[in-house]
Amino acid sequence: MSSETKIEFQKKEFSPKVKSIGLILFIIGLVLISAGYFVSPARMAYNNIIGLTFIISIVVGSLFFVSIEYLSGAVWSTPFRRIAEFFTYGVYLIPVILIPVLFNLHDIFHWTHPEVVNSNKILKEKAPYLNINFFLIRVIGFIIIWILFQKLISRNSEKQDLTKEQSLTSRNVKLSAIFIPLFAITLSFTAIDFLMSLEPHWFSTIFGVYYFSGTVLASLAAITIVVIYLNENGYLVKGLSQDHYYSLGALMFAFTNFWAYIAFSQFLLIWYANLPEETFWFLQRWEGSWMIYSIGLIIVRFVIPYFGLLTQPSKMDPKRLKIMAGWILFAHLYDLYFLVMPNYSRGGVVFSWFELGFPLFIIGSFILMLFELNKRKNIVAIGDPKLKRGIDFRL
Amino acid sequence: MSVVDYSHEISVIEGKPSLRELDDLIVKPLETKPNKNFLIALSITLTLLGSFLIGLSLTFYYGIGMWGNNNPVGWAFDIVNFVFWVGIGHAGTLISAILFLFRQKWRTGIARFAEGMTIFAVMTAALFPLIHIGRFWLPLYLMPYPNQHSLWVNFTSPLLWDVFAVSTYFTVSLIFWYVGLIPDFAVLREKTESKFKKIIYSIFSLGWRFSNRHWQHYEMVYLILAGFATPLVLSVHTIVSFDFAVSILPGWHTTIFPPYFVAGAVFSGFAMVQNVLIIVRKVFHYEHIITLDTLEKMNKIMLLTGSLVGYAYGMEFFIAWYSGNPIEQFTFINRAFGPYAWAYWIMLTCNVVSPQLFWFKKIRRSIPVMFIVAVFVNVGMWFERFVIVVTSLANDFLPSSWAYYKPTYVDFMILIGSFGFFFTFILLFTKGLPVVSMAEVKAVVDGSQPTHHD
Repeated sequence: MSSETKIEFQKKEFSPKVKSIGLILFIIGLVLISAGYFVSPARMAYNNIIGLTFIISIVVGSLFFVSIEYLSGAVWSTPFRRIAEFFTYGVYLIPVILIPVLFNLHDIFHWTHPEVVNSNKILKEKAPYLNINFFLIRVIGFIIIWILFQKLISRNSEKQDLTKEQSLTSRNVKLSAIFIPLFAITLSFTAIDFLMSLEPHWFSTIFGVYYFSGTVLASLAAITIVVIYLNENGYLVKGLSQDHYYSLGALMFAFTNFWAYIAFSQFLLIWYANLPEETFWFLQRWEGSWMIYSIGLIIVRFVIPYFGLLTQPSKMDPKRLKIMAGWILFAHLYDLYFLVMPNYSRGGVVFSWFELGFPLFIIGSFILMLFELNKRKNIVAIGDPKLKRGIDFRL
Repeated sequence: MSVVDYSHEISVIEGKPSLRELDDLIVKPLETKPNKNFLIALSITLTLLGSFLIGLSLTFYYGIGMWGNNNPVGWAFDIVNFVFWVGIGHAGTLISAILFLFRQKWRTGIARFAEGMTIFAVMTAALFPLIHIGRFWLPLYLMPYPNQHSLWVNFTSPLLWDVFAVSTYFTVSLIFWYVGLIPDFAVLREKTESKFKKIIYSIFSLGWRFSNRHWQHYEMVYLILAGFATPLVLSVHTIVSFDFAVSILPGWHTTIFPPYFVAGAVFSGFAMVQNVLIIVRKVFHYEHIITLDTLEKMNKIMLLTGSLVGYAYGMEFFIAWYSGNPIEQFTFINRAFGPYAWAYWIMLTCNVVSPQLFWFKKIRRSIPVMFIVAVFVNVGMWFERFVIVVTSLANDFLPSSWAYYKPTYVDFMILIGSFGFFFTFILLFTKGLPVVSMAEVKAVVDGSQPTHHD
């Protein structure tokens, strides 16, 4: 069954135009963030949380994507797995975006104020978990875990470009197996620490899964956009077909449904039981213009991607896929805004240039990062034993 | 480190059997008379079925006072068994529909059997609500229909949603199963020498002639049905979890229940499929169709789903503490160290600890070990439902009304009997229908795939 597929790949640099776009976005973002922190530190700090959870989604979600490919033995994603690996280099950006949060903890988290905690029975009980020291230990620990696995997995994968050793794949399979449980724990508690504890009285056991569903979607969307763009411009290995696109589209479709399922489960159970200790979280998101925003979440995050990706041809059409992937990234920001901002502005949605700073900064940084990585490393895992099978992949 | 060759796909069917050999092997149990072992097995399951009937007769004659249910614990074995059996059914749909959508070829050897188990498990499960309502001759009242008493069902009750979800799921599973069987019925029709059987097979094969057009339609229908079955299977156990989670009872009301129940259902279902298939492949000499690789992959799924269930246990415990709600905290402490601690630790050992053995490749590929682990998982998943249903009810808000639940012999007869019901169907299935899909298996034998050189 030896296939006659040849691996046709030519390394080439991205056009400098890409770099200048990245640089412009990066600078605009940086200016907006600095200005934002100058004008209204509290508001910018909340935006910082959105930016932080957004980048964690893309970066750690990509690491999850890579691990899952190794673990499941999938081949369809091998020809462009390296793009997901490139995204994982964003782990080094996470601390950069985290640092301003750490300086503004008191603006964001009620539980960091000892006088508030001491006068509140429930917060007092939570203090063994929700205190600044333990919070820092967790956050730093999680980042170390992510950096460690990113380093190990991408190192093996990149080494394989030269040596073509199969044992490197085996090693990554093992690393991935260890990473997945750690991923589940670190991501869940990231969600609890940065998103759920914004409202320290509120709790929901499904919350980690909720953030996970968005994380997978965001990373898939980011990977999809870059894969399609690069493939159309001939940067990737030859032979990627609509069947590869279809698989990416099908996964985004599946996780769109998964998100809806999780979000609906959380909402229905809280609404139905009608316990005041839980419902207030949704009631806050029903005050004033937040009501429209909350209804919009269903449309933005579920209805539009659902119908946009429902049919088979739409999952194979690169143009449609690019639009939907971009939309899903936007929807993830929309969702994070829904989770975070009601804590800043009760009673009504606020939107202005503040909210643009972090997204632009992150997108710009990613473009610059991909540009530099492509210069130094192969953008296709040319030594991977599964590559040929991956190019041959047909539905 | 063992060297694995990643550049080649592992064959799903070992030993390159010819298509004819495969057909003959799969048809053989249908064309031969049942042997002694089969009859012994059947007599055992029929005995268990007998105990089921006696238990039910006692219940219906004397009333549900024959059970151990008491005042706070109004739901016990009947609901535990219901949830358990519905869960068992989930593996079938996961294998036949969801793995199909994920284009996992290894599913072909086991899909038919697992799908059959889904149908029998849902049938077994469906008995329990009927038993539970006490008046099993009035099931029609579960259906909303205009009647002269103006008596309507409660549309806001998840118990009613269960009726819709389970019946829809059963219908779609049955159709899905049958559609897959059509080409096989046609093969049987061609192969059989008995006139009577030929008529039966001809009717059920719906005039299948193996034409290109037939296959095209078949593939399309199969894909659409798989697409339908996927959300359905998720909805069924989700709604079963709503039965508990929409309430305000501590230990029942928690938002992670839907995905956690689905993961648990798939987990227990895989364990049951694993147990049965290990025997079937041995008895029917299907070792090269249901290969060790396939069993290993099933073990990996059990490791995954078992760990997901473990994640849910942990998250529940953590959030119970984090909520700061004393009743919530008490419920979980009480589960682990209260009067039902024994059930809790059985559940935890069987469900979370035992599948962790599958981290090791040697164990994943050892048939005796995986058989034992799968039995453990089945036990553990039954106890999980017991822990959820009984502990929360037995020690609820008002300590003066607490009571310890003790099942009676009738409860046990019905529990054991439900296994008799299920396994009688399984046994008859192995003799009455091809337990492996001939059409699908033949499509994944090495050399039968079209190559793509355009």
